[in-house]
Amino acid sequence: MSEADFDVQYIERDDRSARVLIRGLSPAFANGIRRAMIADVPTFSIDTVRFVENSSVMFDEMLGLRLGLVPLTTPIDDFEIGDEVTLALDVAGPGTAYSGDLVSSEPLVEPADKNVPLIELKEGQRVELEADAVLDTGKEHAKHQGGVSVGYRHLQRVTVEGDLGEFDEEETRILRGVIETEDGEIVPTEAFDHDLSERYPGKEVSVEDVPGAFVFHVETDGSVDVEELIVRAIGTIEERADELRTTIAV
Amino acid sequence: MMIPVRCFTCGNVVGEHWDEFKARAREGDEDPGEVLDDLGVDRHCCRRMMVSHTDLVDVVSPYQ
Amino acid sequence: MELRVIDKSEAELRIEVAGEDHTFMNVLKGALLEADDVAAATYDVNPEQSGGQTEPILTVKTESGDPLDALEDAADAITEKTTALSDAVRAA
Repeated sequence: MSEADFDVQYIERDDRSARVLIRGLSPAFANGIRRAMIADVPTFSIDTVRFVENSSVMFDEMLGLRLGLVPLTTPIDDFEIGDEVTLALDVAGPGTAYSGDLVSSEPLVEPADKNVPLIELKEGQRVELEADAVLDTGKEHAKHQGGVSVGYRHLQRVTVEGDLGEFDEEETRILRGVIETEDGEIVPTEAFDHDLSERYPGKEVSVEDVPGAFVFHVETDGSVDVEELIVRAIGTIEERADELRTTIAV
Repeated sequence: MMIPVRCFTCGNVVGEHWDEFKARAREGDEDPGEVLDDLGVDRHCCRRMMVSHTDLVDVVSPYQ
Repeated sequence: MELRVIDKSEAELRIEVAGEDHTFMNVLKGALLEADDVAAATYDVNPEQSGGQTEPILTVKTESGDPLDALEDAADAITEKTTALSDAVRAA
């Protein structure tokens, strides 16, 4: 399959979520990419917190957990796994400390979402802390996962077999994902309420998987954008193939 | 106590939308389902995080 | 990635690939099976619960030629695919 021609087509596309149709993949390769997107693409996440003051209603550890889950923007090119960036938070009540209040020492690494409430502070309560974010992979800890609910389905081809018999009952035919019609049109099933009998009323249809065509659903937590995540995931597999080759040669 | 930062099941960041959800669906009188649709919280695992959450900071703060 | 040859003969190779999991091993196995002179390829990752070892062990049998060469060719095939796919994703 070395002469494989890949065809990549975005069905829906946003900064943080997309549906991508990729043709020419083997199932093993598709799953490799999926797994790599979840576990092998590194992102920054707060790992160590030093509390100067915490008079809030939450324990240090609880705040530490919440801080770790805040997604941080990650320009992967500029950093290596294990690199650290320091962030600081200093908020006094009354009021709420938001993720956007975190001040980063590195402008490239900052909270991807600014409105995540970290802790509500009452009159006289105060939180002051210093936190180290570290670049690591989802394999190490789930908070480092860049991809959220990454998965794929086969592209399904719908063929009209003929008309429904005169006295046959029209039945709903529920399908989820993306279909390819006979004239090659790519249609997400949302377009007809996931029901084939809506799109082909009175027709007898058959559905089959298209070999080698996978529709990936990719969503990120904001630390990297979708294209970056896919390309990086493919990159980690490539790195390992290269590593294998050099190790064999030795 | 505070809205969880991420959905327990899928890891999507739901904390981001809490303030708006609270203002519109809890304190306001909009339909929670429509607000969630509007905010782009569309998986039911993430939706239950918002719908079933109660802020308890006010309840525990006297016992500091 | 550390390789440790467990067994090697003319047409068969058993090798431990330390530090890898299904992500790469399955891709590698897939690439091996697509090669013409590979008769069989499989890998086994013993789950920790079984009390066995956890590093994947790759087994390759060839119809002709050195299985190590087949492995190297498979690595080449993967690189070729990943490069093509990265380009296709960037272009889309």
